[in-house]
Amino acid sequence: MALPPPDPQFVLRGTSAPVHTLHFSCGGPEPDIPLLFSGSENGFIHVWNLKTHRVDRALDGHGRKSVYCVETMGGKDRLLSQGRDQRICLWDLAEGRTSVTDSVFTEHVGFCRCSLLKVAQGRWLMAMAARSLEEVQILELPSKTSVCTLKPEVGAKLGMPMCLKLWQLSCGSQPVLLAGYEDGSVVLWNVSMGKALSQLNCHQEPVMSLDFDSEKAKGISGSSEKVLSIWSLNEQQNLQVYKTHELVNAGISDITLRPDKKILATAGWDHRIRIFGWKKLKPLAVLDYHTATVHCVSFSDHSTPRDRLLAAGSRDQRISVWSIYAQT
Amino acid sequence: MAVFDTPQAAFGALRPVCVQLTRTQTVENVRQLQAHLAGVSGAALQELQEYVLFPLRFALRVPGPKQERLLQSLVQCISSVLAATCVKKQELLQELFSELCTCLAPPPNSGKAAPLSEELKLAVIQALHTLMHSAYGDVILSLYQPSSLPLLGFAVSLLLTLAEQEKAKQIKISALECLQVLVLQCDCQEHRHLDEDEEQQCGDLFASFLPGISIALSRIIAGDIKQGHKTTVSAIRLFYLIVGLVMADKQLARIPKSKEKLPVEHSRISELMIHRGSDWTKSTAEKLSILLHKVVESSSVHPHWKVRLELVELVHHLLRNCSQSLVDSFSHLLKALVGLVNDENSEVQSRCNKVLQGISEQRIVAQNRALADVLSENLHSLATALPRLMNSQDDMGKVSTLSLLLGYLKLLGPKINIVLHSMSHLQRLSKALVQVLELDVTDVKIVEARRSEPPGPLQQGVQKGRCQKKYFRFFTEEKVFQLLQQVCRVLGYYGNLYLLVDHFMGLYSESGLYRKQAAMILNELVMGAAGVGVDFLQEREAALNVDDLKGSITSILDEYMDQANWYLFTSVDSEESSPEQSEQHLGLAVRAGGVSSSVLLLSSEPPVTTRTMNSNIWQICIQLEGVGCFAAVLGKEFRLLLLSALYPVLEKAGDRTLLISETALGTLADICEACGYDSVQCLINENSDYLVNGISLNLRQLAYQPRASQVLDTMLRNSDASLLPLVEDVIQDVLSALDQSYNSQASTFLRVLHSVMTALVQWFGMPSAEEHQQRQTDKGQSRALSQGQHKVTSQEVERFFLDYVSQKRIAEGDLPDLEEEEETDEVPLANPEPNSDMEGEAPLPSHAQLARDVMERCIHLLSDGSLRVRLKVLDVLELCVTMLHPHGNHLLPMAHRVWPALVTRLVGDDPLAVLRAFKVLCTLAQTCGDFLRQRFSKDVLPKLTSSLLSQAPVSARAGPVYSHTLAFKLQLAVLQGLGSLCERLDMGESDLNKVADACLIYLSAKQPVKLQEAAQSVFLHLMHVDPDSTWLLLSEVCCPEGYEPPHPSLRPVKLSGMGRPRNELTDNVLLLLHRLQQQEATGPRSSTQEASPS
Repeated sequence: MALPPPDPQFVLRGTSAPVHTLHFSCGGPEPDIPLLFSGSENGFIHVWNLKTHRVDRALDGHGRKSVYCVETMGGKDRLLSQGRDQRICLWDLAEGRTSVTDSVFTEHVGFCRCSLLKVAQGRWLMAMAARSLEEVQILELPSKTSVCTLKPEVGAKLGMPMCLKLWQLSCGSQPVLLAGYEDGSVVLWNVSMGKALSQLNCHQEPVMSLDFDSEKAKGISGSSEKVLSIWSLNEQQNLQVYKTHELVNAGISDITLRPDKKILATAGWDHRIRIFGWKKLKPLAVLDYHTATVHCVSFSDHSTPRDRLLAAGSRDQRISVWSIYAQT
Repeated sequence: MAVFDTPQAAFGALRPVCVQLTRTQTVENVRQLQAHLAGVSGAALQELQEYVLFPLRFALRVPGPKQERLLQSLVQCISSVLAATCVKKQELLQELFSELCTCLAPPPNSGKAAPLSEELKLAVIQALHTLMHSAYGDVILSLYQPSSLPLLGFAVSLLLTLAEQEKAKQIKISALECLQVLVLQCDCQEHRHLDEDEEQQCGDLFASFLPGISIALSRIIAGDIKQGHKTTVSAIRLFYLIVGLVMADKQLARIPKSKEKLPVEHSRISELMIHRGSDWTKSTAEKLSILLHKVVESSSVHPHWKVRLELVELVHHLLRNCSQSLVDSFSHLLKALVGLVNDENSEVQSRCNKVLQGISEQRIVAQNRALADVLSENLHSLATALPRLMNSQDDMGKVSTLSLLLGYLKLLGPKINIVLHSMSHLQRLSKALVQVLELDVTDVKIVEARRSEPPGPLQQGVQKGRCQKKYFRFFTEEKVFQLLQQVCRVLGYYGNLYLLVDHFMGLYSESGLYRKQAAMILNELVMGAAGVGVDFLQEREAALNVDDLKGSITSILDEYMDQANWYLFTSVDSEESSPEQSEQHLGLAVRAGGVSSSVLLLSSEPPVTTRTMNSNIWQICIQLEGVGCFAAVLGKEFRLLLLSALYPVLEKAGDRTLLISETALGTLADICEACGYDSVQCLINENSDYLVNGISLNLRQLAYQPRASQVLDTMLRNSDASLLPLVEDVIQDVLSALDQSYNSQASTFLRVLHSVMTALVQWFGMPSAEEHQQRQTDKGQSRALSQGQHKVTSQEVERFFLDYVSQKRIAEGDLPDLEEEEETDEVPLANPEPNSDMEGEAPLPSHAQLARDVMERCIHLLSDGSLRVRLKVLDVLELCVTMLHPHGNHLLPMAHRVWPALVTRLVGDDPLAVLRAFKVLCTLAQTCGDFLRQRFSKDVLPKLTSSLLSQAPVSARAGPVYSHTLAFKLQLAVLQGLGSLCERLDMGESDLNKVADACLIYLSAKQPVKLQEAAQSVFLHLMHVDPDSTWLLLSEVCCPEGYEPPHPSLRPVKLSGMGRPRNELTDNVLLLLHRLQQQEATGPRSSTQEASPS
């Protein structure tokens, strides 16, 4: 008998605006307080203390324009945030500071979240949608030097990039970018050569979010339609549809694989969070708590699996935190 | 008066008397010598010591029987010489010693003490005493050579016999003191300190006497109480001194393996000498143990406190000196010591405590494994016997038993862990504690005592959380409980907290029978572990690890607040039991999947009896107290735990059972203090996010909804407007939960909605409501003024008539009456509209938005099947209306939607609901009077008046039973509500007339009194609205006085009521007219009667 779906472990209130992005930083050793960063529509980044469940700090760096991407760079003291003010800010949060150390002006007007990949100690690659509609630009951080610009072929009509995922097979190997486009296709880019390796048309509608498991060479994408698409990457670097999964309600705003690649969570426009097993995409649970569209889901990076959490941010201004399948 | 300072002079003076004495030994001569001695200085006498002593000793040695009196004076004289001089020669000492002893020697072969006079015995004892003190330096040691063993033995046995067999207290005491000197343990400081070897030697020597001395002394100690406490005290002292000397660990450690060979000439003596080898030590210790047991037993209950004090000293001395050799006796000794901790005499108590402390501080126990073993053995046997003792002993006995237990624990100190690590010990101890702490759960009052309904603000109940007084099955004395508390705390202080917590948690979950006690013990353990309120003798070795403590507390809290332990049946309230019951099952069902033990719980669920409920109440209280303890222990650290702990506690603060809610309030106060919040309000305000989280999550489960609403209720009651954003958030949850369960949970949620609205009105509504009221009264006053400005002057009368005529003309011409009324109605209507339109453009403030959302739900619930719900809805509705007052154009559409349902309440519902509905209508009328007026007169009024009219004859005829009928109540409700409503709605004349007509018949004296009164109230209200027409109406019925027109040109006033015979209406009408007159006289208006002829 299946257990009834659990309630959230707790709910964080107080952003006073819809929540668009979440990012955990819980990997630190014991005295470190586990943190959750949330970016909300009013331009604030809240730093939640997961011990007290309260806001430690609120960062204001995007001119009250919606913040839709927050990432940490290394420890919890360096933060990257992207907002609708077309800027990507780098923060220094060490020792109580809350200053923006550097920023990148993207000139991109869409919602496409940037993607960050650590290539060496203190060196990151960042993929972001660029000014001209279809282009994706790769920058090296913190130097901000442009590595390359990925332009689709003329006449490809992919539309704007909607979501990006930068990854590499193993440390030191070639970085590869997966980009979901407005026309519903997912394109695999070789970053160093700057050319498209493969293109897969997996959705009729814009791809809203994707995630990729480099070990199994399998990825999943969701769009505004009722379908989740799972695709795989073969040895020839070709993307092919592996499976699709029909949903009850249309609209997926975010998809995240848990770091251990056992389960994945989707954020639905139907106010629900869905949990699937990654192996066979077996539906495991539907978490029904929010009263508005769920914008983002994120898994924590706790070092002990038992503590691992799932957080979801929603338009109803709440962040629900769940402890599910922590034992598996 | 030293007359003779030099030896020569002294010699000259003493010589004759000495010679005289040598010649003839008479009492007289001795006295003379003594008299002369008094005049000789000490130094001189020292020179002449032997010379002076010679005649005395000679006299003693003269063979043949002697007069006792002579003997006595001789001995006294010797002792006075010795007192002034010191003996510097060994031989002299020995000779004197033996000579003095011989004086008391019993006649040969008699075996009994010599039949001598008591004075003589005393003199000899004193002389011996003096002799021992006058021995100079090392000289004394010559007595303690093996060779003088027989002599010493003789003296010892002599003195012992005296001490034991004499009747006179003085002799007994002197003999004992003398013995004390003899064994070189004199209390006075004059003696030379012996070095180790010398002590060792003496010890060897005295070992021979030990059996004799100890047996004799123990007999004396256990002897008749009549011998006086001093004897016993001396005997005890001597006992421990001698035992302490002979059995001293230090000495025994240095004893060589084999017996020393003495020179040959002493071979006989050598046989007498004892070798204190290990065998001897062991056997002696065994024998001593018996004696000690006897001593302890008799003296620990001795009525005189000095004896008990001496016993403490005995234990102290022996523990300090013989902790190894006498280890077997310590169980008795410590028992005595520990038992005396609570002696009735404070001196004994404090000394005892000091000794105990000394023992702990010197770590005698901690370093001595054997002693610890003894103690833990004692502990074990005591723990085993504890439940039995607790059952059988009276409270005093329990106190002493428990203080014994406490004493053992304290003495063990850090060694407690050894005991705790032994499973059997721990089990014994814990079972004993659990059994003793069993609560008395038969009191029905606890179950019955309910909190009085609207719970006041929390601040009132906030004193420092004191523990609720508990009633135990096995004892009533408070002291017993305190001791038990101390026992637990000491355990917590020294013991391994994890081990203890684990163990008692095990007991906690093992059986419902143990649960309360285990919880109580756990609370105390934690307190003890934190070192709060612990009486300890020595500091524990390792300082407290806060993380450990926090870990333990967290796990205990989790257990306490587990569904199965926190939510228990505590009442059989009709209102609460059903959801609780379902929740219980649901909770269990949910748990059943995960935890197997819950299945057990399910099956063993007993039927709910008063006893079970009482027990459950206590369990919750104890757990609540525990939460308070934990907070106190952790201080500010507890803030982190508030996340999980505050919500459940607040839940209990709203519990209907008095005891629980009181305890929870105490706990809240504790938490406040511990976490540094100024007040409970502060606590709730600052942690409202945690609470809201809990509420919101609990609202998701149907079963937990009542509790969540309770918490929300409490939270709202105790916070302020700053909470609004959070409240808003959670109210949305409430509303959506309500939407999903209108049927089952309506009444629960209505309570919440009610408190939400009350809070909102309190936070935001008040100013606007007041304002509005102000406006209302302003309006009323202006109207009153406009009406009351008539001065009774002819001009005014004239103007009035002119107006009247013109009005009448208009009326008769093209405008009918009704339209005119409408026109006047529309004037105020037009006024607020532009005003409210502007408001409408601005977004509705969130609190008003909430009110609107709530009102929306109320519309649906107005026609609920249950009267209780309907009443509550009406209350909430009224608050919503108040809240929406300033936002007219939001209120009006709502009012429009509410109307149909409200009409039904007014027209055809239970009287109670009718009355409430009237109230709502009144409130509603304040803002949308115009909107309502017409509808009211169209939809409601006709029905009400017609029913009033039709019912009037019935009620007029009815007997006293009628007042219990529904019809009566309905009439009453309508009459009570109608008046104020008319006033509020500012009804038109025709409607007022309808009302007045309908109510007039109720002024009849035939009607039940209550209805008459209610009808009166209607008229009183009407008087406010339109005094003139009311006056007219009443006067038409009955007019007591005539009215003279002010001017002869006016027609004389003719009212139909004039001169009527007295009828059923007269009384009430007259009363009302009188009131009207009063009102007119005191009000701003002058009398208006004259302005209103028809």
